Amino acid sequence: MSPPTFASPNVGQRLFHTCSLTPPISTPLFLILDDATYPCAPSHTQYTEVIAFHYVLSWHTRKVLKRRLSRLVSRGSERIHTGAKRHCFAFTLSSMMAAQDFNFLLATDSYKITHYKQYPPNISKVYSYFECRHKKGGQYNEVVFFGLQYLLKKYLAGRVVTEEKIQEAKVFYQMHFKQSVFDEEGWRKVLEKYDGRLPIRIKAVPEGKIIPRGNVLFTVENTDPDFFWLTNYIETMLLQMWYPITVATISREFKKILAKHLKATSGSLEGLDLKLHDFGYRGVSSQESAALGGAAHLVNFCSTDTVAGLLMAQRYYACPMAGFSIPAAEHSTIISWGKSREKDAFECLLDQFPSGPVAVVSDSYDIFKACKHIWGDKLKERVMERSEDSALIIRPDSGDPAETLIEVIKILEECFGCSQNSVGYKVLPSYLRIIQGDGIDLNSINEILEKLSDEGWSAENVFFGCGSALLQKINRDTLNCAFKCSYVETNGKGMDVYKQPVTDPSKGSKRGRLCLRRNSDGFIETVERGAGKPHEDMLVTVFENGTILQEYTLDEIRKAAQLWEEDVSPSEHNKEDDTSLEIHQKHIINGVH
Amino acid sequence: MNGLFQKGEGLQTLVGPPLLLLHKDSCPLGKLEGKKLHEICSSSVTHYKQYPPNTSKVYSYFECREKKTEPTKLRKVKYDKTVFYGLQYILHRYLKGQVVTREKIQEAKEVYREHFQDDVFNEKGWNYILEKYNGHLPIEIKAVPEGSVIPRGNVLFTVVSTDPECYWLTNWVETILVQIWYPITVATNSREQKKILAKYLMETSGSLEGLEYKLHDFGYRGVSSQETAGIGASAHLVNFKGTDTVAGICVIKKYYGTKDPVPGFSVPAAEHSTITAWGKDHEKDAFEHIIKQFPSVPVSIVSDSYDIYNACEKIWGEDLRGLIEMRSADAPLVVRPDSGNPLDTVLKVLEILGKKFPLVENSKGYKVLPPYIRVIQGDGVDINTLQEIVEGMKEHRWSIENIAFGSGGALLQKLTRDLLNCSFKCSYVVTNGLGVNVFKDPVADPNKRSKKGRLSLHRTPSGDFVTLEEGKGDLEEYGEDLLHTVFRNGKIVKTYTFDEVRDNAKLKESELEDLLL
Repeated sequence: MSPPTFASPNVGQRLFHTCSLTPPISTPLFLILDDATYPCAPSHTQYTEVIAFHYVLSWHTRKVLKRRLSRLVSRGSERIHTGAKRHCFAFTLSSMMAAQDFNFLLATDSYKITHYKQYPPNISKVYSYFECRHKKGGQYNEVVFFGLQYLLKKYLAGRVVTEEKIQEAKVFYQMHFKQSVFDEEGWRKVLEKYDGRLPIRIKAVPEGKIIPRGNVLFTVENTDPDFFWLTNYIETMLLQMWYPITVATISREFKKILAKHLKATSGSLEGLDLKLHDFGYRGVSSQESAALGGAAHLVNFCSTDTVAGLLMAQRYYACPMAGFSIPAAEHSTIISWGKSREKDAFECLLDQFPSGPVAVVSDSYDIFKACKHIWGDKLKERVMERSEDSALIIRPDSGDPAETLIEVIKILEECFGCSQNSVGYKVLPSYLRIIQGDGIDLNSINEILEKLSDEGWSAENVFFGCGSALLQKINRDTLNCAFKCSYVETNGKGMDVYKQPVTDPSKGSKRGRLCLRRNSDGFIETVERGAGKPHEDMLVTVFENGTILQEYTLDEIRKAAQLWEEDVSPSEHNKEDDTSLEIHQKHIINGVH
Repeated sequence: MNGLFQKGEGLQTLVGPPLLLLHKDSCPLGKLEGKKLHEICSSSVTHYKQYPPNTSKVYSYFECREKKTEPTKLRKVKYDKTVFYGLQYILHRYLKGQVVTREKIQEAKEVYREHFQDDVFNEKGWNYILEKYNGHLPIEIKAVPEGSVIPRGNVLFTVVSTDPECYWLTNWVETILVQIWYPITVATNSREQKKILAKYLMETSGSLEGLEYKLHDFGYRGVSSQETAGIGASAHLVNFKGTDTVAGICVIKKYYGTKDPVPGFSVPAAEHSTITAWGKDHEKDAFEHIIKQFPSVPVSIVSDSYDIYNACEKIWGEDLRGLIEMRSADAPLVVRPDSGNPLDTVLKVLEILGKKFPLVENSKGYKVLPPYIRVIQGDGVDINTLQEIVEGMKEHRWSIENIAFGSGGALLQKLTRDLLNCSFKCSYVVTNGLGVNVFKDPVADPNKRSKKGRLSLHRTPSGDFVTLEEGKGDLEEYGEDLLHTVFRNGKIVKTYTFDEVRDNAKLKESELEDLLL
């Protein structure tokens, strides 16, 4: 059974139809499908019906779900509907969207607490925007927009303010500032007027879109004049968008390099999606970062060891299984056999995983000897017994990546021979491949691939693993991500505002209300000062008054983020101008699947 | 909206180690219920099949490797010692208690089947843990006390399986445990900055007063997630007391505890939006309004929205001078530049303010602004620029009393596991009842050599730390092992308060003496 699509707003009715569940009396507002939440009827904000629709996960999981729902129901919801099929649930609970432990009021920079006192009197609107500022000579000309949906679902949607949280924050900030500065009344008003939902509107570029640097990516504004201070209160949290955007962008740059070389040395892009494996789990700073970064890599590839990223894709982007892995050895499983028994360790791996591919780290003592004497001699026959579907993948893990790899591939050629592919490059026998997972970044991968092709080797022979260069060795300055106020209304009058420090002109910000459009020449551009036309605007309202209005699946995001033909043609790899990217009607030449 | 599933009620959660780290609450500040199973690298899932037959014990350890061949000789800071911090968080949040349940095993089995397109998951092993230990992890972790400052290249903690059937568990938890590189690295880098500040503050003022507030954490927005913010900010607070990253305080309160109500403090401060919202022609009005709003506490005002030098000279130095002079040492105006070359900007701002306000000379002969006005530099501050700025100030006879620093990305994000070469390696196994010391020693990179056998950490009579390999630490002559059991079979058996952590990590007299040489 494949998931239904969610094109129409009244998706709820269709889902009920799909799973032959009798709809509850009132129209449901949200659907939960594999833990992703879908809005059904955005206009009906007064409803609190929730439907959980769950069919991908196991029976055990469904049992857990049911139990948990029952518990929630007993805690104050009104009704639970169980569908004709045992995996369909509908229930109501007005407070279920509230973040139960996470206190939204404590998730901002301390100084934000004091800002409500600092804006001009009679201010009624603050409008801010996010961009990856353009830097002269910057390395990346375009960015992949990804990750907002996670932040919205996890931290901003629903009833995020409660009286308990206000009290907790009040006590907290009293101690933290050693004085009373917390705006208790303001927050209570959010609770009273909006039932604890945020009177904020967020408009954003659809996730997965490729946008040139220096353009608006999303805007934030308060929808009620009383809450002008809320717009920038959530800056801290929203600015963390730099991370998934940067990972997705870097990962896509890897993909461009790999695509170019693979095309040139094999004649096709087959297997591209599996060429860069995410090794970054251990090298990131937390589990949550692993999940977010791991998912961002999956926008471009299908290959990962960072399980947390898969779960994020499942939970927040409706993708049941976004990436794959293969059995692989680590040093402990080799060295625990003892130094004199490396061969036995290798052989055990071949025995244990006869049918699928298996990766074996082979540098515990001497990678070259391991290739020549163990793989290429003592276990040669065992290796040759394997097939393309159960390839042995040898992993070097130390030394200069390019030199080591070339030497390893030459040794393997001596021992196992090689053939020529249709474009004249050498390929190892299909049962034998190499994965290089040490010292990989955008520079080294290009260098390695160039050396390989210089020596006549096809990129088909190698896979890459990347850890910290993909998920950790990046920061907010990599793409110069910034969130700035550009428009305010005071005494009922609008005013375009900006900063423009003499000490650094590149920190200048945009002015007024912003619109992102594709102009008549096909280029994406930001129109400032409220001059944009609504029908041209590529920004979509994704969040309003506590409700998520638009969602994207990982499948949609992957399609939007596909490489263009221009990205793969060798001559244009180092694009001097970013204009070539935005030509209309570019041909999509590869997909993620 | 999806609160039902993430905020403590997680159906499954994003993270969890033993099987998939199933059902782990993924909210960083969330409840500690439902753990594990997803928290592990995919490849570890298949490792149980790969150890030698009849293996009954796997013993691994964590260290910040010493680099014997240093490729980056130019790096100014050597990071000879590291601050051990953050294990308690991981143990509490991800490893303690019943982390394996029937549902989690089932779920993990299905996820991994899809993921590997094959049945490779060790269901039998997990069922054994569930049945025999009620889902508690049969491993023992021994570690140096949190906050300890230990020279690179020494063992920091060890992990060993306690049940012969569960030898494979030791390295299953590797992925989650190696993430301790992050709090260790933040705490270590922050402490090195404290040393720089201590040296220059002492030299230019004769005391260390205010040292703990000299480096403020501006990093919340620049980290990769809420959870990272909490962990990283708490690690900075091991050394300092100024922070705007609220999440760090929450982590400390929840996982360590302090005798003070909060371990970190902040002051009211402006941001660009609260200045620019007044319009370009009203910067003075914005400044005036804000300082009047906070008359009795320090208030920091970002002053570079248009022209920092004009703001210092004309607005602060002339238009609002009277208002500032009325403020006290307890409630100074703190001027914040936020762009330009950090050292040049700081010196020029100090110079302008020094002309507009009466300077005094302190006992060491350095210039000090009147106590009602200070400067905070929070842009472009990392350990190297910090060194340059304080050095430059000293050269120009400015006391470090005049300034505080804010650091964001450099403090919490621009760090990797390689800065301190953090690694987790297997060093000992028992096979067929026989213990074997194991190690790796790749020919292509001698720095990656690992230690052998069972390890212990000791202090020599001269006070140096030494790691003994191959079980030699068992001999009495070496004195007590500094590694203490903190976790055993699902239970945390030793905890540290944040006050203890801070005390262990404080700058020692001997270090201060070395700095001032």
